[in-house]
Parts: sequence; C-alpha cells; structure tokens
Amino acid sequence: MTSSPYAHPRVAVPRVAVPAWAWALALLALFALYLLAQDNGAVLAQAGGVAHELFHDARHALGVPCH
Amino acid sequence: MPLTHRTVDRLGGTATAPPFPALLGRLLLGGVVAGVLSGIWQLLVTERAISPALALEEARGTGTVEDSGEMFSRTTQLVGGFVGALVAAVGLAIVLAAVYAALRHRLPGRTDGSRLIVLTVIGFAVIALLPAVAIPANPPAVGDPDTIGTRTAIYGAVLAGGIVIAALVAAVVGALRRRGTDHTAVAAAGTAVGVALLAVLLLVLPGTPDTIPADVPADVVWNFRLASLGQLAILWATLGLAGGWFVDRLTASPARG
Ligand SMILES: [Zn+2]
Repeated sequence: MTSSPYAHPRVAVPRVAVPAWAWALALLALFALYLLAQDNGAVLAQAGGVAHELFHDARHALGVPCH
Repeated sequence: MPLTHRTVDRLGGTATAPPFPALLGRLLLGGVVAGVLSGIWQLLVTERAISPALALEEARGTGTVEDSGEMFSRTTQLVGGFVGALVAAVGLAIVLAAVYAALRHRLPGRTDGSRLIVLTVIGFAVIALLPAVAIPANPPAVGDPDTIGTRTAIYGAVLAGGIVIAALVAAVVGALRRRGTDHTAVAAAGTAVGVALLAVLLLVLPGTPDTIPADVPADVVWNFRLASLGQLAILWATLGLAGGWFVDRLTASPARG
C-alpha cells in the first residue's frame, strides 16, 4: 500500500522462544503477589493470617487497599 | 560472519534472541536489587510516614489486631515489611521476564536496556501511577474495614483497565507503524487514544467509598502517599535500569552466538 521508508522495519528483532513453564512460573508469581497484597485468610486460612500481618506494612507501602 | 553480526547489531538489536532462562536469571537479579532498594526506602521513609497513623489508631483505642502488635512485635513487622517489599519485587521480576520475553521483538529500542526501560515505564504508569490517581494509597487509620471489599474491587478494576488500555494503545501504535505512518503522527495518535481511554476509565470507575476521618491530619495522609509513590518509583526504576543493565551484559557480549 504505502511505500514510506517506515513501512519496512530495518531489521526484525528475533523473537525470544518463551517456554510454557515461563508462563506457569509467571502465574505462580502472580499468585504469590496476590497473597502478599490481598490475602485475608480466605485462601490459606491460618497461614494466610500470619502472612497478612507479617507483610502488612508492605501492603500499605505498595498502595494496595488494606484495613 | 562478524561483519553481518555487527551490522545487524547496529541497526536492529542483537542478531540472536537470548534464551529465556538466561533472561529470567538476569531479571531476577534486577528484581533482588529493586527489592532491596525499595525495602530500604520502605524502612527509612515509608515506615516513618506510617508511624503517626499507627499512633493515631492507638490513641483511638480502635487499632485492629494487625497494628496492635498482638501477633508480631513492631520490630518483627518492620522486618516482615522489608521481606514483603523484596518478595513483591522478585515476584514482579518473574512476571516481567515472561512479558518482556514475549514482547521484546515489538518494543522500541536498540538495546535490551532501553527496551526494558520502555516496558517498566509502562508498568509503573499502569500498576503504580494510575491506581495512585484513581484510588490513592492510604496509611493505617484511614480505611473503613467495611469497605475493604469495594476498595479492593475498584483497585483490581483500575489495574485491569490500565492493562487493557496499554494493550490497546500498543495495538494502535503497532498498526499505524506497519502502515508507514510517520513517527510524530503515531506518537500523537497513541497519546490521544491513551488519554481518551484513561479519561473514560477514570470517569466510569467510582472513587474510593471512604472519607478520611476527621482526626487524621491531611499531612499524615499525603506524606504517606508520597512515600508510597516514591517507593513504587524506586521499585520500577530499578527493575528497568538494573534489570536492563544485567540483560545488556548478556546480550551485548560478543562471545554469545
Ligand atoms: Zn492495614
């Protein structure tokens, strides 16, 4: 269609092959972030309660709604 | 063919893509550095802004269990807060590694360092700055325990909306660039689409249901908000700069083939 010099990228940057386990690991990390940010004992019951209070100040500092 | 490699390097980035495990390792290093720096900021600055709020709760006599130190001493909670900051940074670094690896060939920039800075600036804007505007952080003594569900839902919606907007702007910019639109017009169109969508998001979403209690001075709230935003800025800046520096050491090395 157009013949602008921008139409063709100068050199394509090769793709990184992202293995499936990379996404599994990312999901696991997201779950850990969720527990850190949000858990009120609903997911991990007592253990969650402990984590909730231990990480309490970090949750406020990161701007996540808290008590 | 060293000549070919050098030519490709100068024009479009490294000739071969780095393997994911190496990328992940470098970004994890960046995450640890970011966690330590933001954790130090938390101990030195943010905690100092939290203290007057805890004192207020104590004066009210209505401090919740988490603040009254029934489960942990205050010192343990400070250490826990630091560990929390570190865990958050490492967790973000792991997610960042997957997202960066998937988007690397589409991000602008000639080096991994500059591409990673682009991605972390977007991350800071969407995951830190946007929530700070839409539903600002509060120290203890401010939140109403009865509205935590609503506040959390709004916060989640802001994050989700921000990510969708970033993806839409990236799609528009990508499409225009493929059509050969010149850089200025692409930048203008991307900005216009982004600003319009952000305005819609902020208008559609309700603000926080809480009002700041009368006994909490405004400077206690604002000192805390600035400390929190500063901490998030350090976190994201270090993820981009330190992470990018570590990845550049990997991809710029001529020994790798
Ligand atoms: Zn709290």
